[in-house]
Amino acid sequence: MEQNALLKLSHISKRYKTELALKDISITLRKGEILGFLGPSGAGKTTTIKIITGQLRQTAGEAKILGTDSANIDASIYEKIGVVSDNSGIYEKMTVWQNLSCFANIWRVPDERIEEVLKQVGLTEHKKKLAGKLSKGQKQRLVLARSVLHKPRILFLDEPTSGLDPSTAVAIHKMLLDLRKEGMAIFLTTHNMEEAEKLCDHVALLYQGNIVEFGTPQEICLKYNREKRYHLLLNGSKEELVLEQNPENAEKISEWMRKDMILCLHSCEPTLESVFLEVTGASLAP
Amino acid sequence: MEGIRKLTAVAKIKWICISKNTMIMLGPVLTIALVYGCKILYGENTGGELPPPLMAMILCIGISTNICGDGFVMVGTAIAEEKEKHTLRVLMTSSITGWQYFFGSIALPFLLTVVINVIVLYISGVSLSYVSMPVFLFVSVIASLISCVIGMIVGICAKNQMNANLIAYPFMMVFMMVPMFGNMSETLHKLSGFLFTGVVVEMTNCFANNTPYVIRPLDMAVLIGELAISVLVFLLLYKRNGYEKD
Repeated sequence: MEQNALLKLSHISKRYKTELALKDISITLRKGEILGFLGPSGAGKTTTIKIITGQLRQTAGEAKILGTDSANIDASIYEKIGVVSDNSGIYEKMTVWQNLSCFANIWRVPDERIEEVLKQVGLTEHKKKLAGKLSKGQKQRLVLARSVLHKPRILFLDEPTSGLDPSTAVAIHKMLLDLRKEGMAIFLTTHNMEEAEKLCDHVALLYQGNIVEFGTPQEICLKYNREKRYHLLLNGSKEELVLEQNPENAEKISEWMRKDMILCLHSCEPTLESVFLEVTGASLAP
Repeated sequence: MEGIRKLTAVAKIKWICISKNTMIMLGPVLTIALVYGCKILYGENTGGELPPPLMAMILCIGISTNICGDGFVMVGTAIAEEKEKHTLRVLMTSSITGWQYFFGSIALPFLLTVVINVIVLYISGVSLSYVSMPVFLFVSVIASLISCVIGMIVGICAKNQMNANLIAYPFMMVFMMVPMFGNMSETLHKLSGFLFTGVVVEMTNCFANNTPYVIRPLDMAVLIGELAISVLVFLLLYKRNGYEKD
């Protein structure tokens, strides 16, 4: 496995009876990188995570995690990785502290680390509260705190901000970026393209079990930016102008700029969502 | 050592969950209350001195309720609760092995069942001079172990707590009712001899009637055989789907 590659999938396929859920998936995740798996529900995102983490066996191909074939991994792999699935539960009758303390016992993590992650996710003042009394956003932050308690080398996140309010989602995004800085590799599945654009170093667009596009969010968007256009709003005008990129329009824009007539100017490269739409003809919405 | 530490961690989680689940914890408390209540009520009607058949019945009710009701339900419902709240998958993806989960799950319910059996024996009013404590403990330990393994089978098959109770019900009917009503029908009595709870009831009848109890080869074969069968069934189910069917 290449240096710094913590995860490598080579030609992975998964068949459920008659349905082919994954088709020839190949990707690599490196240290300190966030890799986004972007696709609508049923695209094969969760299946991929389950195969990598040894919860499901692939039909064909090879998945190597931290240098070990996922077919040969045992329970000890979970001491080095963290998993947050779309329905990771918490012990609702335990306090926030007890929820973390139980797993700290399993991973031999000192109490100081529990304090540290509680502070990181902003739950310190709720540590004596019953987990069942937390709000949905706080519960999700507790799940995240638990998943990084043992400082895993790879963190698998399946739709971590799905259904959360924007402020909680922003707090979680900040936490993920901090973890990346610390060198953690993050495998993130989402159908939220803004989240992917903001967080991910590389993105794989998944559709019906295929990776239909792969690259950095910017690379992908620029690749499909075939008709280069600009949106302009001029002083005294209520209507936005859309101008194509050509020498004539460049002159116009230059002139308006000299005369300080431009209120706002935007380039019109496609978003990940519109790229997805163009490539697959389907929407990213769940 | 590493394995024991993780097993202890699971047992601790299980204990917190069980002790905070009123539905589960009500079982052992009611068992003790039932035996104590029966002793007082029957004692009042018989002038304070309980005749051996009544004592045998009280002891039989207490121990059968504890082994079947508490053992099956405590273990089975606790696993079902973990499935319902989606914490089982979390635990299994935190480096806990299937065996650590198995032993961690049954450790405390097993101990509790044995302890309640001893408490029931003491409060039933049976003369302890005719009770062979090593024999009582041996039979009680094996019976409690079988009941906890059956609880694991219930848990593996159940989707949620309601479902666990529903699955545990037929087991309870067979293992609790057949020995309890063994005196009323020859067929039930014969059948009871082949059940681990039947061996327990036979033992408690001897204690209550002030006759020494000796484990016969058939009793031993029933206890060991049913422990082996329950473990085998559990293993077959676990091999097929794990604790949770994906």
